[in-house]
Amino acid sequence: MAEASKVIKITLQSKNLQCKNLHDYLKTLPTEILDRLYNHPTTCLAVYRELPEIAQHYVIRILFVEQPVPQAVVASWVSQAYSKEHNEVAQVLSSLRVWQEAAIPGGLPGWIMNSAFKRNMKIALLGGGKPWSMSSQLETDSKPRDIPYLDSYAMERWECVLHYMVGSQQQEGISADAVRILLHAGLMKRDEDDGSPVITREGFQFLLLDTPSQVWYFILQYLDTVESRGLDLVDCLTFLFQLSFSTMGKDYSTEGMSDGLLVFLQHLREFGLVYQRKRKAGRFYPTRLALNIASGQSRSQLDMNREGYIVVETNYRVYAYTDSNLQVALLGLFCELMYRFPNLAVGILTRDSVRQALKSGITAEQIVGFLRLHAHHRMVAVGPPVLPPTVVDQIKLWENERNRFTFSEGILYSQFLSQADFEVLRDHAQDLGVLTWQNPQRRTMVVTRSGHEEVKRFWKRYSKGAG
Amino acid sequence: MVNVMKGILIECDQAMKQFLLHLDETVALGRKFIIQDLDERHLFISADILETLQARVDDLMDQISFPLADRGL
Repeated sequence: MAEASKVIKITLQSKNLQCKNLHDYLKTLPTEILDRLYNHPTTCLAVYRELPEIAQHYVIRILFVEQPVPQAVVASWVSQAYSKEHNEVAQVLSSLRVWQEAAIPGGLPGWIMNSAFKRNMKIALLGGGKPWSMSSQLETDSKPRDIPYLDSYAMERWECVLHYMVGSQQQEGISADAVRILLHAGLMKRDEDDGSPVITREGFQFLLLDTPSQVWYFILQYLDTVESRGLDLVDCLTFLFQLSFSTMGKDYSTEGMSDGLLVFLQHLREFGLVYQRKRKAGRFYPTRLALNIASGQSRSQLDMNREGYIVVETNYRVYAYTDSNLQVALLGLFCELMYRFPNLAVGILTRDSVRQALKSGITAEQIVGFLRLHAHHRMVAVGPPVLPPTVVDQIKLWENERNRFTFSEGILYSQFLSQADFEVLRDHAQDLGVLTWQNPQRRTMVVTRSGHEEVKRFWKRYSKGAG
Repeated sequence: MVNVMKGILIECDQAMKQFLLHLDETVALGRKFIIQDLDERHLFISADILETLQARVDDLMDQISFPLADRGL
């Protein structure tokens, strides 16, 4: 029974926005691209930096070993109690092609480190190799930009994209390219009537993410499309990784960059990942958005140190100390707004407003996460909990209320002539993983729609054989 | 011989199931829709009624909810 209900849960899970981390993304790449990526020390270092601790340990241990290492030896580096972790880590390293299985003379299974990865990891650690493409000497900028300027520039650019998504008026518009990426990412879709882009449920979920996750998700979608633009994925990724190792507030040269990369740079510039005064300035400043990028979701120290602005009271009132239309528009996704002052907006969380949000695809978890992420420092000071528990619980209850029943399309099999027949068919359906409900006493079972054909065929074969 | 029927498997809590049974018995949605009563948490219903049913359950939830927030001015 427990088994059956699990299947239903999986089939009915609503389509939520999946934000992959760096490793998940790299795993989806074809192996030859991964191998080419490892030809750059920066990529190796970025991958290494994101490895689990045990994996980092393994990598360093076998980095200078020029022959396969027996798997048993590697396993002996951690105590038996952690063999589960060891297996996971070994799996991660294999799927990232950091190492491969190799037979050792004598027949023992062993691991051998990817030679490209090994070579370039050494360069990353010990120095040497070619200088980075963006490291050429520059004369000092006559108008250098400091970090606060870059931060505000980056946020302004990024918010342009978000503004566009919520369709607020103060936007200065974004390029057709950016719109295409939003459409491609499924964050917006063309309206059926007039063809203008409108936000989708994934888009709503996207808006409530924190900025680094948004940027990362957006860039992943962008990378999906680079090849169709005639850019080289490996070049772009390598450049992104280089950016993530660059220094805030320092300017870098565009000299020696290929035409493709220059195009890529202009796109990054549009989204606020790099700052350039002029298109042909010959120099650019990476911003915090770019520095965060390769650290995927596991960044905390580099997070934008933005002031929280939301106060939630136990009477469901929400006060937002902000003058940004975007932030007010975001609140408006799930709040009923009551007043708007120059630097303060007041709203109220009602059943209707939250249900409206839930209907458009936002989950309760995301609403609560958003409120918590942007909580005013006064709320953080009295916490934890940061948010009034009553409000959090109520939002979750409102969500649960919509899921009073779960449903899945299925086929009902009943009136079996014998218990044996029933059991054979049931076991077969179970093996196929299509059984959603069964009751042996009543000889009744339900299989999923997709599994029906297979089960029917089996039944025909079976009943013929028996008869 | 085996009897095969297409439809939708519903999983819900017991109270909700009783409400659905009630809707079925009183023909509140214009016709009967429960194909088989499976157990206390599962029902098998005809597929074409689902939307009406969801709207109806939504209505029910609207009826039994009370506006919590004091709007005040």
